[in-house]
Amino acid sequence: MLPARRRATVAFGLAAGLVVSFSAALAFGAVTLPIGSVVRVLLRVVAPGGIDPAELDAPMRRVYAILYHIRLPRAVAALFAGLALAVSGAAVQGLFRNPMASPDILGISAGSSLGAVLAIVSGLVVLHPLAVPGASFLGALAAASFVYTIAARRGGTHLIYVILAGLAVSSLLSGLVSAVLVFSEEYALSQFIFWTMGGLEGRTWANVTAPIPFILVLSVVLMFHANPLNLLSLGEEQAHSLGVRVEAIKVSVLVISSMLTAMAIAIAGPIAFIGLMVPHLVRMVTGPNHRTLLPFSALAGAIFLLGSDLVARLLFAPHEIKTGIVTAVIGGPYFIFLIIRYQRRGSV
Amino acid sequence: MSDRSATAAVLSAAALRYRIGDALLLDGVDIELYPGELVGLIGPNGAGKSTLLRNLIGYLRPTEGTVTLEGKPIQSYSARDRAKRISYLSQYGPDQFPFPVIDVVEMGSYPVVGMGRAPGVREREAAMRALSYVGLERLADRSFPSLSGGERQLALFARILVQESPIILLDEPTASLDIGHEATLLQMVRDLCEEGYSAIVALHNLNIAAEYCRRLVLMDGGRVRAAGPPDQVLIGELIETSYHTSVHVGRNDSTGSITVSPVPTGGAARDLRVHVIGGAGGGVNISRFLHRTGCTLSGGVAHELDSDARLWKALAVPYVQVPAFSEIGEQDVARAAALVDAADLTVLCAFPFGTGNAANLDLAERAGRLLILDEESGGCPRDFFGDEEALRARFDRLAARHGVHPYRDACRLIEETLKEATSHEDP
Repeated sequence: MLPARRRATVAFGLAAGLVVSFSAALAFGAVTLPIGSVVRVLLRVVAPGGIDPAELDAPMRRVYAILYHIRLPRAVAALFAGLALAVSGAAVQGLFRNPMASPDILGISAGSSLGAVLAIVSGLVVLHPLAVPGASFLGALAAASFVYTIAARRGGTHLIYVILAGLAVSSLLSGLVSAVLVFSEEYALSQFIFWTMGGLEGRTWANVTAPIPFILVLSVVLMFHANPLNLLSLGEEQAHSLGVRVEAIKVSVLVISSMLTAMAIAIAGPIAFIGLMVPHLVRMVTGPNHRTLLPFSALAGAIFLLGSDLVARLLFAPHEIKTGIVTAVIGGPYFIFLIIRYQRRGSV
Repeated sequence: MSDRSATAAVLSAAALRYRIGDALLLDGVDIELYPGELVGLIGPNGAGKSTLLRNLIGYLRPTEGTVTLEGKPIQSYSARDRAKRISYLSQYGPDQFPFPVIDVVEMGSYPVVGMGRAPGVREREAAMRALSYVGLERLADRSFPSLSGGERQLALFARILVQESPIILLDEPTASLDIGHEATLLQMVRDLCEEGYSAIVALHNLNIAAEYCRRLVLMDGGRVRAAGPPDQVLIGELIETSYHTSVHVGRNDSTGSITVSPVPTGGAARDLRVHVIGGAGGGVNISRFLHRTGCTLSGGVAHELDSDARLWKALAVPYVQVPAFSEIGEQDVARAAALVDAADLTVLCAFPFGTGNAANLDLAERAGRLLILDEESGGCPRDFFGDEEALRARFDRLAARHGVHPYRDACRLIEETLKEATSHEDP
């Protein structure tokens, strides 16, 4: 465990970072809003009795409209998607005792893609704005359950079988996605490709209000697995001998992480690399103890996605690029850097 | 042990079978651990020792049979209640993630702490105490993967100490320890057992097992082949058939414990018979060399307490010896002569000649092919006593006929002869 002072410093730094990035996500964009009026509007939004836009003067009404209907839901979406991806990534890496693991091992990406493409091609997408998020969420969960059902057997789940089953199911589902796309119209094809890039544009309260309570509760429950995850680094036998219910922990970490990741994809599309990269960065700063790693990863993941989304909006303003492109462009080189670093040290 | 009938076993397994697919890893194992006992679990690789230990902690579920912990089936305990009663050490530590050593040791407090809470000051202090007990307090903040193999095992053992469970199962805890740390660790286990802990320790080092464990269980092929005090288990024939190697079972002169040492053989036995005429230790090196290269060895005549004779005895080769300080009799010469006649090559080592062993010159004279080692080779001068001139004259005649070789030349000659012998056999 870190010395308490260092831990407090890092926690404070992350909390401050979250406040700053969240405020910046509200203040900056195609139009820059003065931070003073942002704060004033926000205070009135959260004040008891809420806010009546009709009472505001014209400039403030404009600030309110941009904030409440566009930037606030988008920032909240980024915050919770980033948090969910990072905390589940950290837990799955701990479970697999492998810093390169991610919930994607369970075939979640491929499952959510199939869900999304079916919603787009079938036309459900035009019937309801939540059709694609809902379908991708269900697809992700179905894929994860399928993988787990294949890998589980009486007397214990060998994680290597989870990985193999995940590979098999992923390639099966990706094949199905391609097959559906072959027979689809061009507009559906481009809509799907945009979805696969992952992004937060046009998110409304409808996109985020349903998943937020689940993400909060599941993340907290996942953080309660910190001690058993630490012990699993000793190997399953020794964790068992120390009183960890190894099978129960495996199932619950896999289930919770899959649900968190599926919800993050429903909110933001398949955003790359956050689940892999953020826990890594946090581990470098504060060490591998899951009691700090899980909460710190959650905060850092939120900050990272808020920041990436801001970059996506500002880089070519007033045009914006997809957030997933930013995380991938940061994540790819970072991953190359990690590979070289591990090669130099001679271990993964 | 006498107290066995009075007390019940704290941990026992009855008719344990464990099967994976077609492989039967445990085939009807019965084992008991009594309070205060230190049991050594020995057996060759693949004998089922680790599988047995994993069944005993309830990690593996036996295909048949039961494990009983303090009178109840082990599966009836909750995970943390079981962990408060029985601890287990494997050779595995957190290699992938750089946990500080002190965090790894502190993990031993989980049965008390549980899922929801972080270990507190008391747990941290207990971890520090355990770490200084094994002598690693200076490494508390180092990252576990950066430790040497031996330090890792000691740190993991400190974790066992923090767990404070009365039953301790250790799977080869000394595998990467030097002999100093190996002895220290087993002494710590023995001290714990004297305080009332009970332990089963899987060990590869049979000498350490004999030294520290009052009861040994020998496993082979998933079964218990023998169980009991070391002198009933460490029997040459039992060990040789279990480990498939020749061993020499002796006793440690200072502690009186049984010792087991492997007797190396030179791979495929080769068809070259060599007789060594030695004495006063002059034949030790060449005998070891011949044994190593796979020659069929015989020796004699030496005196009983000569190191030559002791080595031949340990190697279990045919040899002739006479009691210390006595003269070689006719019968002894006749027996040795038979060995010389059967040999393809006879080696005359450097040792002093006197009236007592003049018969060894007779043996050298009857050898068809004789290799005489020079005085440098054995660290022993070739002096002549008693009927000095006659003995020296006889030796000089032999030396003139066969030449005298330094040790290295002799080894080279023997290797060449071996090669010839092998190439004749092979075509």
